[in-house]
Amino acid sequence: MPAAKVVETDVLIVGGGIAGLFAAIKAKEQGVVVTLVDKGYAGKSGQTPFAGSYSVFNPEWGDDLAAWVEQVSRVGQYVNNREWTEIAFKESYARYQDLVSWGVEFRKNEDGTLFRSESMLGPCRAAHMGAKVFAELMRKQAVKRGVKLMDRIMVTDLLKQDGRIVGVIGIPMESYDIYVFRVKATVLCSGAGGFKPWGWPISALTADGDAMAYRAGAEITGKEFADTHPTGAEHPAYLGFAKRMSGGPRRGKQLNAEGNEITGRGTLFLDMEFEAHAGRAPVYSQMPDGEKSVRIGGASSGMSVHKAEGIWPVDTSCATSLSGLYAAGDALGTMQMGAVYGAIGCALGGSSVTGTIAGVAAAGYAKQAEKLEIDDQEVSRIKKIVQAPAERKGGFSPRWVTQVLQNTMMPYFILYIKKEDRMRAALTITEFLRDHMAPKIFARDPHELRLALETKNMILNAEMRLRASLFRTESRGCHYREDYPRRDDANWLAWVLLQEENSEMKVFKQPVPQEWRPDLSQPYEQRYPWRLPGE
Amino acid sequence: MAIERIDPELCNGCGICVKICPMDVFRMDRKSKKAVITYPEDCMLCEFCVLDCPTNAITVTPEKSSPLLVSWG
Repeated sequence: MPAAKVVETDVLIVGGGIAGLFAAIKAKEQGVVVTLVDKGYAGKSGQTPFAGSYSVFNPEWGDDLAAWVEQVSRVGQYVNNREWTEIAFKESYARYQDLVSWGVEFRKNEDGTLFRSESMLGPCRAAHMGAKVFAELMRKQAVKRGVKLMDRIMVTDLLKQDGRIVGVIGIPMESYDIYVFRVKATVLCSGAGGFKPWGWPISALTADGDAMAYRAGAEITGKEFADTHPTGAEHPAYLGFAKRMSGGPRRGKQLNAEGNEITGRGTLFLDMEFEAHAGRAPVYSQMPDGEKSVRIGGASSGMSVHKAEGIWPVDTSCATSLSGLYAAGDALGTMQMGAVYGAIGCALGGSSVTGTIAGVAAAGYAKQAEKLEIDDQEVSRIKKIVQAPAERKGGFSPRWVTQVLQNTMMPYFILYIKKEDRMRAALTITEFLRDHMAPKIFARDPHELRLALETKNMILNAEMRLRASLFRTESRGCHYREDYPRRDDANWLAWVLLQEENSEMKVFKQPVPQEWRPDLSQPYEQRYPWRLPGE
Repeated sequence: MAIERIDPELCNGCGICVKICPMDVFRMDRKSKKAVITYPEDCMLCEFCVLDCPTNAITVTPEKSSPLLVSWG
């Protein structure tokens, strides 16, 4: 086996979406050596290139922070982390100004002022970018400042020594080389994760950051709140995303098979899944001009609502519980939006803010930290695990194992309409995939090695989702259980955390601080005006 | 079906599609010095390749099918 290629850097940014690009730019401005590594091409990765709504809060325009936070808290059903909700709004204007200074164009009103769309649910507003080239403009800014960009390298594992993350391992797309990044600080901006679902072009997002951090001992949160974006039934894998301009959401009326309108709650929710479960599919979207199209849920199957899933932050610098490891964007479980995504533009907005905070914090850490020698034995150990699929002569193909996982997890009645017995059934299969299948996945070339490692991370993501969902014995936001249809504020105003302990996935809860709880003297029906099936 | 074709008459071998595809679908053919669709099953129909190909050589269609589920594979 050839020797590993060693890359030295002060700060390593993993992932080149909006969070990673902000992190790289802001870290570089602190005067440290910055490398950004992406599984594909930084500026065209993750969900970033498809997004265009951008949350901008500005008190000088009459925006009331308390009212904006109240909207998110109410719609998010009181499990949003209000510190992060506030930080994301307060810092959004400065990030918006960054983008403008880098040449990004936003939709304007006729009088030249910034156009911001309104929300049905409260005062939150969002700006909209024109053509979706902002990430490419950011890439140019990163290059201009001297960020070293390394594309087409999948980061697979973290190297931990004495409780500190001292390095990172990666594999390139076209050879069996191994890259060892020797680092002072790392920022995981690896995005959210799914099961390579149809509908959303997120097949490169396989929760790699969550998996790596989990294997290194970090806590993961938010896995029980399922993202409910739908897609078209005629061509479920195609949405023409990249070509569409952003102008705000286009929504028609939603009708069930009986021709009745489905109540919209003003935000993404499980309304379609309830109809399907009750036997009232197909669900149609009817535009004002009368055009009808069939809609299907699960476009982003395997993913959580924005800002829910991710590595648990231990403070507001985006630090994780592993020394030298930060996270940002959808890889960081800030719970900024709570259990339901209630204000558009907060995905890109939040990622910009946490990317900036993490980049600056990582640079600060790097400036005062010593770069440690990496233990060669540890590198050898991880290298062996990473390359094992390529060493096998036979076994199971990563594509087939992924297909089995998809068949197990994607039907709506596992992670959208949940029930203990079905989740336990899925967990039994998932554990079998983890213990029997995953070690026998074989790769015929470096591309399949990437697929093999992604499949293993997807199996872990599935296990996380099932265990977190089984643990939370209530319904809240986009976590709905038929067997526990009510919100249980007495026991579940809390976050669910997952952590590896003695090779087992430990599941525990962290209560939401008292000050952020809703008024429990208010009747339940007022705290939660929308009734869920079975309540 | 999804990523369908690179027109070899139009492809100028710039390698942009190989570089930008998030799913690593393409490879450069060393002999012809043109891009080749190598892993079409992994195409997620994002169309970055279509948008950035300078000669409009690439065709992506909205249909995507998945293989039959078999006993093992």
